[in-house]
Formats: sequence, structure tokens, C-alpha cells
Amino acid sequence: MSAAPHLESPVAAAAPALAGRRAPRLFRIGPGIALPVHPRALIWSGIVLVGLIVAAVLTLSMGKLGIAPQSLPAALFDPPRGAAGFTLTTLRGPRLLVAIGVGAALGISGALFQIVTRNPLGSPDVIGLGAGAGAGVAICGLLWPGVLPTPAGALLGAMLAITIVYLSTGRGFAAPARIIIAGIGVSAMAHAVTQYVVSVKLRDEASQLAGYLAGSINSVGWGAVGIIAITLALCLPAAWALSPSLNQIALGDSLAHSLGIRVTATRTAAIIVAVVAAAGAVTVAGPISFVALTAPQIAQRLTRSPALSLGLSALLGALILVVADLLAQQAPWARGLPVGILTAGVGGIYLGALLIREWRKGRL
Amino acid sequence: MTPTPPGLRAHQLRVGYGSRTVLSDLSVTLPTGAFTAIIGPNGCGKSTLLKSLGRAIVPRAGAVTLDGTDLASLRPKVIARRLALLPQDPIAPDTIRVRDLVARGRHPYHSLLRQWAPGDTEAVDRALAETGVTHLADRFVSELSGGQRQRAWVALVLAQDTDYVLLDEPTSFLDISHQIDLLHRCQDMRSAGKTVVAVLHDLNQAARYADHLVVMHEGAIVAEGTPADVLSADLVREVFALPAEITIDPQSGSPLIVPLARV
Amino acid sequence: MTQLSPTHAAARVSRSGRARVRTLGSRTLILIALLLLLLVLSALSLVAGSRVTSVSEVWQALSGTGNPHLQLVVTERIPRTIIGAVVGASLAVAGVIVQGITRNPLGDPGLLGVSVGASAAVVTATAITGTAIGAGTVWVALAGALATVVLVVLVAGRPTAGGIVPLLLAGAVVSAVLGTYIQAMILTRPAVFDSFRFWVIGSLSGRRLETLAEVAPALILGLVLALILASGLNALALGDDMAHSLGVSVPRVRAGGLLAAALLCAGATALVGPIAFIGLAVPHIVRALVGTDHRWQIPAAILLGASVLIAADIVGRIIARPGELMVGVVTAFVGAPFLLIAVRAGRAVRG
Repeated sequence: MSAAPHLESPVAAAAPALAGRRAPRLFRIGPGIALPVHPRALIWSGIVLVGLIVAAVLTLSMGKLGIAPQSLPAALFDPPRGAAGFTLTTLRGPRLLVAIGVGAALGISGALFQIVTRNPLGSPDVIGLGAGAGAGVAICGLLWPGVLPTPAGALLGAMLAITIVYLSTGRGFAAPARIIIAGIGVSAMAHAVTQYVVSVKLRDEASQLAGYLAGSINSVGWGAVGIIAITLALCLPAAWALSPSLNQIALGDSLAHSLGIRVTATRTAAIIVAVVAAAGAVTVAGPISFVALTAPQIAQRLTRSPALSLGLSALLGALILVVADLLAQQAPWARGLPVGILTAGVGGIYLGALLIREWRKGRL
Repeated sequence: MTPTPPGLRAHQLRVGYGSRTVLSDLSVTLPTGAFTAIIGPNGCGKSTLLKSLGRAIVPRAGAVTLDGTDLASLRPKVIARRLALLPQDPIAPDTIRVRDLVARGRHPYHSLLRQWAPGDTEAVDRALAETGVTHLADRFVSELSGGQRQRAWVALVLAQDTDYVLLDEPTSFLDISHQIDLLHRCQDMRSAGKTVVAVLHDLNQAARYADHLVVMHEGAIVAEGTPADVLSADLVREVFALPAEITIDPQSGSPLIVPLARV
Repeated sequence: MTQLSPTHAAARVSRSGRARVRTLGSRTLILIALLLLLLVLSALSLVAGSRVTSVSEVWQALSGTGNPHLQLVVTERIPRTIIGAVVGASLAVAGVIVQGITRNPLGDPGLLGVSVGASAAVVTATAITGTAIGAGTVWVALAGALATVVLVVLVAGRPTAGGIVPLLLAGAVVSAVLGTYIQAMILTRPAVFDSFRFWVIGSLSGRRLETLAEVAPALILGLVLALILASGLNALALGDDMAHSLGVSVPRVRAGGLLAAALLCAGATALVGPIAFIGLAVPHIVRALVGTDHRWQIPAAILLGASVLIAADIVGRIIARPGELMVGVVTAFVGAPFLLIAVRAGRAVRG
């Protein structure tokens, strides 16, 4: 008999019903559509969206080349000529859109990884995607320049890393713990490649590469905006369609199965979507760390719900990256640093707080 | 396949993990509307049989049929509306409340655009009430005691509203009063018309509370029938390697296994 | 109850059934074989290299006759081989200890923040003094590594409270934060980056025996501590409660083990820079060879760790001729597949 007191005897009659008190609100369209609505998630999404708009306006309007906030609406529909137009359409516009898109893609990717691996540390970085992309960039950009464009190198490296992880778990993506450990090994190999390339190259080239390796959106154009927009157009609906099944997988594979989920197929599909989202992000911005890790965690704490909150994760990812990039552009102490460094610094400290809290609660 | 009578049946099942075969050529019919207990010594394949019946393990050969239909030919959600399996180690997500956990049992009735079905609220309320956890509905699952948590899981399975309920060692890690309570719930489900199948460890509990026993030994079924028919001193000695005497439970009249004193 | 205990003991033995029964003789034979392997590899390390030499040439060089230029090459290979052996042995023993105290087959001295701490200290020192990495580096790295381990332990809090998990988590966190710091430093200071990028991949080339003498006290202290703790680690392998009931002070073994691993790993890192995977992979092989007894594992780890690092160095010198591949790159490429195979076989993680 355990020492903990039981609040009621096992044969106690059912207490007075509190029925219906927490029945969910529904969003209905006709008889065919009924989706549960989580008020907290909606409210927080609104707040984060407002924050994102403010950060975006600041990004476009601060500094010497900024466009005054009051003339922004007009400028958006009819881009002015001259310096202001250049700022909007070439300098900061694409960069802002890429920050939003990359952040959103990373937020989605991280949310999917965390629910699939049932691990708050699950993220595309952990399974070697970022390190693989870095090695790909090092090889295509420095070792054999001109063979392939750098973004293609990033994509290939990321895909190669994921493939090795997939093959070496022995069970594909069905064994979450194995994915993470195989990812550690693949990351180590990819880092070794990168460091080797960095060490054999000239200082300036290597330094430039090191900047990219931290993840940077300093010089992106409309092509990058296109890539990330296509990525999101593919991944958002897919992730949304998978999310009800993923919530059931959180109950354990056997029970999810008993509730009618195709567990392995759903998990594999979710990881593929997560990998595509992260690969799109890494292609345009390089390996930006910690956004995918932190955005879903913050989202979960804001909604106070165990369910996957894709939309809020995406919005938070976008907000984190836009704010970090704003700092990289405007804060004197951060100027010239790649945005990935700022996200890593903030994310690392957040990760520490998270881990310490988890084990204090005795759950790890 | 020959025409099959209604109910849950296994036909010449072969199941294994890696290079190890656990069950081979196993056939069994589970009596409809009864509470069946699967018993046997550790490692005899009880849980494997239960999981195979619930399609949590795909057999290498043979089939599981439900009212004559091969489960392999049905969509997972269709199966999930008829047959529920509570595994031994389900995972409660962080920060989930009891009501939300129980509501997860309604998933088989949902679709992508209809994530709330008519009758969900009633089914969840009924399941909470039947397992006596209505007053805990707004508590976090992580705050519950072991017995309360197990009842929340049973409530989830009840909310799934299936004719067949399979439970994998539902009494492990519960103290004795909660074990008995859970077995009463199994009897209640049976009385409500469900077919209940549970893997149980305790022979005397199985003998007293179940209507039907399936006794397994080394991957094969060695006996099945009512407790009074099945349990004999010879069987207990051979299957469980336990010299014992069978007497009568003074409370229920069911067989009671009493290990022999050492000589 | 007393009559029952023999069966109880039998059950315990059969449960740990994977521990193969090894006679004293066969384990001694394995140690002798490992010693021979080390000697052969050391000899090979003197012969092989970007400039091929024959055994007779090496012999002539060692005895002071023959081509003076060749003599220079060969004498340069002697400290390299010795340092390689010492570093490999230290990292392997540190790995055995960390895996022992964490009871985690993925335990690696790097998890305690040793390499990242050493790196952060080297970066800081280079940025402050402005000089390229040089004579004092070994002290800076040693201090940085030890300070980081202390920091990790402090972040983790009381070691008894949550077992060993908080320690691993704290190591991950401190590594993440220091990693960011290192990145920011090297990106904003090209000169720091330039010298650091060579240090950060462990390499045996150009290391001198005088440097080895400087860190020798740390390494010797760590090794002695490890040998003292070996039987305590055996008890710890049965679980904290069991170790306690066997009369072992669990916190003391843990703290001593941490100190030993930190000294060994920090000394090795200070000597040649961060080297991955020796501390992870060698203990696994050692366990397969001599079983679960730490009193045998430690000597076996010394011999095998030294052999593996020297072998990796030889490979690095041969495959990238006329240049050479840093030994840190080679160990990552040898060690990581080892980890992946372990994962695939299901030995690294259950489930």
C-alpha cells in the first residue's frame, strides 16, 4: 500500500456530475465542419501576431535607411523610387519576409519533432540536420567551389544527414530515442567535416563560412523568399492535417493504435514534413539554431495545453527570428553578428532554464 | 476462409519479434459478452496474444477476425470503433487534464474537418461517471494517484464506446483495493454487454472475477473454459511449476489456489 | 528467509546473465594482446607518415646514423606517438569512469563540458592577449576545462537529489551557452578565429614532450583516482541503493569519479585540443573484451585508448598524403559510425 493518502475510497460512488463544464467551443460550418477552438491559443496567436507586425514595422523603419512608419502603408502598395524603394524592395523587404518565413518553418518543424519524439529536446538540430547542412555548405562553398550553388549544398548535406540517421536507427523513424542518438553521431561527423574544411582554407574564406554556419539572412533576395514561401505552402497544410493523429500518438504507440491511428505512417509523414520545413529554412538561411527548439515550447506554455499548437509555434518562430534580426541590424553590440548567434544565445539560456525546471519537477 | 461465427477470433496466428517466434499456429475464440482472463507464467506470450487480438502487433501469419471479417482488411478507425486496447504503459502527456485525456478516446469518431462528434460530451461524461472520476475531471493527470490514474485510462477506453475491450495487465502497480475495484469495473463492463479480455497475473483474481479463462504456456494455449473446469492441481503444477491444492473460495464458490506447504 | 537467499542470489546472477564468465587467465591474455597491439602501432607510428620511411631507416635514425633530415622526421614522430598514447589512454579511462558513474552507455567526458570549457578559455585568452595560441595555452585550457566542470556540477545542484540526470542536463546547457560565446568571439575577431580554428580540431602534430610534462600531474592524479574508485564503480553499477547497502558511499564515488574524469579529459584536451568519441567508443569495446569489472576495464582502456588514438593518427597521416588529416577528424569518422552501429543493434538505447 502506498503511503500517499487516497482522496476517496475506491468504491466511492460517483461524485455529483460537473458535466459539460469544460466542453470545448466549436467552430462550425454547416454539418460537415466542426473544429474545436482553444480560446487561449487564439488570444495568444493574436498577441504574437501584433508583436510580429510591430517588429516588422520597426525592421522597415529604423535606422538611416528606414522608411517612416506613417509612409509605410502607401509605400507597400506603390514602392517609391530612390533610396526608400531600394530599402523596401531590395535591402530589407526580402530579408524581413525571409525572417518571417524561416522562423515559421522552423516553428512548425520543431513542433512536429517534439510531439513525434515525445521529447522537449527534439528538434531538427538534434537529429543532425543543421550540422549536415553546414558540412554541405563547407564542401560546396569552399572545398569545391563552383560545382553546386551553396543553398543546394546545404540542402544536400541536410538530406544526407537525415538519410544516414534514418538508415542507422534500423527502424526508420519509428524509434524516437534512437533517432536522437543517431543524430548525435551524424552531427559529430558533419562537424568534423566542417572543421576540417575550415582549417585547410584561407582565413578570410573560412571566416565567411563561419558566419554562414551560424545562420544568416544578411543578403537574401526574392529568390529566397520564393523558396521559403513554397516550403510553407507545402508544409503548413500537411502539418495541420497530421496534427489530430499526432496528438493521439502522444498517448503512447499502443494506445494510439487502439484509437485507430496508423502510428508508423503518421510518424514518418510528420518527420518528412518537419524535415522539408527545416530543409527549406536551412537552404535560404543556413543552420539557425534553437528557434525550432524554443518556439513550440513557448507555445505550449502559453496555451497550457498538451495539444500541438502549430499556428502559434509558427508565429512565435517568426517573431523570434524577426526580433533577433532586428537586433542584428540595429543594436550596436550585436551589429555584424549573424542572426543565428543571437537566436542561439537566447535559446541556450532558455534551454537551460527549461531543463533545470524539468528535472526539478522530477520528470526527466 | 471458412465462414466464422460472430465474435473475436484468432486463426492460426504466428507472431514473433525479430528472429524469435512467440506464438505459432495459435487459434482461439473469445466468448462474446463474457469477461475472459488470459493467464500464464511470465514470458508465455499472454501480452503478445492480447496485442495481436487488438492489432497492435501485426501477425506474421494467420488472421484475427471480428464477426467473421479479417481485421487486416478494415481501416484502423473502423476497428477502433469496435475494439479498444488499453496497453500496459500508456503515456499521459504533460499538463493534460483528466477530462481531456478521456476525450481523446473519442478520436475514432472524428475526421479532419469534424474534430468533435455529436455524443462526445455524453460519452465522456458517462465514462467519467462509470469509473467514478467525475470529481477529478479538471485535475491534471500527473497529480493523480496510481489507482485514480488507472481509472482515468479505463474511462478513456469506455469513452471509445466499443463492444470489445482488451486490457493488458490492468492491475499491475495498483494496491490490492484498487486491483479489486478494477476487476469490478471489468465485470460491470461485461454486464453492460461488452466483451472484456484482460491479461491477469493473479490466478486467484482471474478465477474469481473472470467468466472464462485462457491458460497459456510457452506460446500455446493449454486450457480454456470456465475457472471451475480449467483450474486443477495438475494444471497449476505443470504450467506454473507450483505444487498447489485447489479449494473453494468461501465468498464466491470459485476455485481458490493454495500453494502447498514445503515438506 | 535465510533459506531462500541462495535462490535469490541465483536469480540475481542469471539476471545479469550477459556478464560473461571470464577466468583470470583469459583476461590477462587479452591485456597482453592489447599491449602487443599498442607496441606494434607505436612502432608503425614511427615508420608511417606523409614521408614514407622503412624500418631500417627508422632504426638508423634512432641509432644516430643515416640521413640527418630523416633523423629529424623520425625524432619528431617520437613525442607525437608518446603524446598520442597518453591522450588516448586518458580519454578512454575518463570515458570508462563517466559511463560508470552515469550508468549510461552514452556517457562521454564531453558531456561534462570539458572540451567546450577548454575551447572557451582558449578563445578568451587569445582575444585578451592577442597572441596566437602558444606556450601558456595548455594551462588556460586546463583551467577552463576544470572551471567548466565545476560550473556544471554547481548548476546541477546536489548530486544525490536527482541521480545523475541533472548533471548531464547541466552539461548540455553549459555547453550550449559556451558554444554560443565561442561562436560570437571568433566571428567578431578574425585573428582569434584564425588561430582557434586549428586548435579546435584535436591534432597531434607539433606537440612537444615539455607540454606533456606540464599536464602530467593532472593526468597522473586522475589515473590514480580512477584506479582507487574502480571497485566502488562496480558496486555503483548495481544501482545507488544496492551500492549503498554494499557499504559504498555513492556521493563520494560520484564526486571522485567526476574529478578523475575531469582531470584526465581536461589534461588531454589541453595537450592536443578536443578529440571526440574515444571516450565514448573505447569503453564499449573494453566492456566487450574484459567484461563489466572496472578493475579490469581501466587497464584495458589505457592500452586500447592509446592504440586507437595512435591508429587514428597513422590513418590521418597516410590517407591525406602529402598533407595530413587531424586526428580529431579521423576519430569522429571512426567513432560516429561505431555509435550508429550500436544504435542500430539496439544496444545504445532500449526501445
